[in-house]
Amino acid sequence: MKFKSQKVAYWFFAACMLLLTLQLTYGFIMAFAHMGLDGLHDYIPFNAARATHTNLLVVWLLTGFMGATHFIIPEEADRELYSVPLAYLQLVSLLVVGVVAIIGFHFNWWEGRKFLEIPRPLDYLVVVNVLLFIYNIGMTVWNGKRFTTTGIVLFMGLFSAALLYLPGMIYFTNQTFDSYFRWWVVHLWVEGVWELIMGAILAYLLIKLTGVDREVIEKWLYVIVGLTFLSGILGTGHHYYYIGTPRYWLWIGGLFSALEPLAFLGMALFAVAMYRRSGRQHPNKISLYWTVGCAIMAFVGAGFLGFAHTLPQVNLYTHGTLVTAMHGHLAFWGAYAMIVLAIITYSMPLMTGRKLWNNMPGLLAFWTSNIGMVGMTGAFAVAGIAQVYLERKLGLDFMVVQKEIEVHFFGLTLAATLFSVGITLFIYNFIKHGLPRDEMVGDQSLDADWVEPHQKESVAAAPAPEKSTPKTGKKAKA
Amino acid sequence: MLSKSQARTFFLVGTLLFSLLFLFLTVDSVRQVPAQTRAKNITPAVARGKHLWDANNCMGCHTLLGEGAYYAPELTKVYERRGAAWMDVFLKDPQAMFPGQRKMVKYKFSDQDRQDLIAFFKWIGEMDLNGFPPRPSRDLNAGLPAQVTPPAPPSTRADAPAPRPTTQPSSQAAARVAAAPAMPVKFQQLCVACHMLGGKGGRVGPALDGVGKKYNVASLRKWLEDPQGVKPGTAMPKLPFTAQELDQMVAFLLAQK
Repeated sequence: MKFKSQKVAYWFFAACMLLLTLQLTYGFIMAFAHMGLDGLHDYIPFNAARATHTNLLVVWLLTGFMGATHFIIPEEADRELYSVPLAYLQLVSLLVVGVVAIIGFHFNWWEGRKFLEIPRPLDYLVVVNVLLFIYNIGMTVWNGKRFTTTGIVLFMGLFSAALLYLPGMIYFTNQTFDSYFRWWVVHLWVEGVWELIMGAILAYLLIKLTGVDREVIEKWLYVIVGLTFLSGILGTGHHYYYIGTPRYWLWIGGLFSALEPLAFLGMALFAVAMYRRSGRQHPNKISLYWTVGCAIMAFVGAGFLGFAHTLPQVNLYTHGTLVTAMHGHLAFWGAYAMIVLAIITYSMPLMTGRKLWNNMPGLLAFWTSNIGMVGMTGAFAVAGIAQVYLERKLGLDFMVVQKEIEVHFFGLTLAATLFSVGITLFIYNFIKHGLPRDEMVGDQSLDADWVEPHQKESVAAAPAPEKSTPKTGKKAKA
Repeated sequence: MLSKSQARTFFLVGTLLFSLLFLFLTVDSVRQVPAQTRAKNITPAVARGKHLWDANNCMGCHTLLGEGAYYAPELTKVYERRGAAWMDVFLKDPQAMFPGQRKMVKYKFSDQDRQDLIAFFKWIGEMDLNGFPPRPSRDLNAGLPAQVTPPAPPSTRADAPAPRPTTQPSSQAAARVAAAPAMPVKFQQLCVACHMLGGKGGRVGPALDGVGKKYNVASLRKWLEDPQGVKPGTAMPKLPFTAQELDQMVAFLLAQK
């Protein structure tokens, strides 16, 4: 950690962990309701659980992006954050708005539009909050000693995300217009500007972890975000097939959606190539796992599974079924949850000085959560495909079909339990790191390359854990 | 090989170009949508219904135009499928219509609210959605009257002769129906949601084939007027029939021998 104000990131990440825990709880409530175990119906009806689950996801990811920004931007701009109190004020107010909204959901108070359920009066507070954040980061970048592509792309992503929130606040009586402009927020966030944020964090991590030249990585960052917009903007058309919009969206949306996996494929190939070219032995292996894993899972979940059901001929049948939930879960996990967890695993040792990398809980957290999420995706896929055939193809009644596919939600619950074990281990590691320490400011030792144990007297770093020793033969020689 | 400044140009030019193209298409869509969605039919009642749809986050369980959550039925064509009368009874007490099944919140909708919601769904059902929802390629429920017969407006319904199902059930079923009194409109709208007749309908209550052999006029009438009085704790709801509808219903049921 180079600057004292980077410590702010810790509190954003801590908030992330709290919100993520709550999100999983609501996920379980819904999975049980799908199995017919809806004992909480009178207190938390399905629509409240659903709105809470998705809004917590959005809020914790945004909190994670903000935390990442507070860690990355001072380093990229080579100066302290413009204002630390402002950053804390912004975090606290974001959480207050989020909590008020979620409590409101339980009392039937909302805007009632998928993903934008936060009640309209609170929308204005969200705008004020995000303006505070943009101002603080903008001033840091503006007064910075250097401008890097990574920093600029990150800032542009955040700024455009804030701007694109506005079309979602307009009220339309016509359901089609309502939907049309709602997707300007939702689609252009997750398949547009959030990919700038993700790409920038990915580039930052790869620069740090692989030691590949910044110029090379940032060049590919431009190519990837270029591909994202080239396909993603008109790819919005895949939401405009069947909502009362002109027919030309069928082929425009279909064509450009088919190109959307390219950006994710580029990202995955890029991350793996950079990892291969790595001239470094960065000691924080677990962070590299999350970084490269993120790029790969984003391709599978967002790219491949997205492509699988955005062809108009397929989407006619899968639109509005559990197939969407299948794609949604792996896409958000791969593309956005994993990048936030990657930057957390990278930055925590630097802020706290505790080297909890490559330990057993950390590795188990990575593998169990990923296997669990793939299992959940599988359960949703089977349930969704069965629903498509029974309901859409054979014309059976909705409720009859739901009874038939209840069993897959039992499978989903099992996979989700595995996933939750992984997340619990991740949070356990997070807590074990302790609080950020001022002594870590300016301490570069934790960022140094990992070295063979027999060379370590020349380096200030503490010995690396035994388990990560790659070649036992060399150790024996020493 | 591509240089960094070339990569930046690719990003900037591409983004600008496709943003402009998207804005152009949006302008065109905004021009075309009102005609395609029959926006001239958006009455104040429809607008109020849309507001109720949002205010209660109906999308948190249902889908509409295929958008929402996947816990409760798709409602784009619900007006065509169920009809106004069924929806009105259902919205008063959703759980009474599907006892023991997946629950819907019992909202305190006023008479006006329910009519507004029904108007909203009627308007939604009339949109041109480029072929959504798809027609099942092998409709196992084909011939189920409630799914294919658009209901007549409520004011004329009570007096008008009951319309016959527009699709033809199997030939035996058709012969049986032809011999019996015409199926009352209310039967198509309400009863088949839970009961089967001729192999078509819901599975909540018992099938009604042969019901006329087991019961007489008095017992059927008493049952329909006060289900709880006859059998306390039954899942059968007390349905809002007028005296005339009740007569038609009893006559129709008696003919099911």
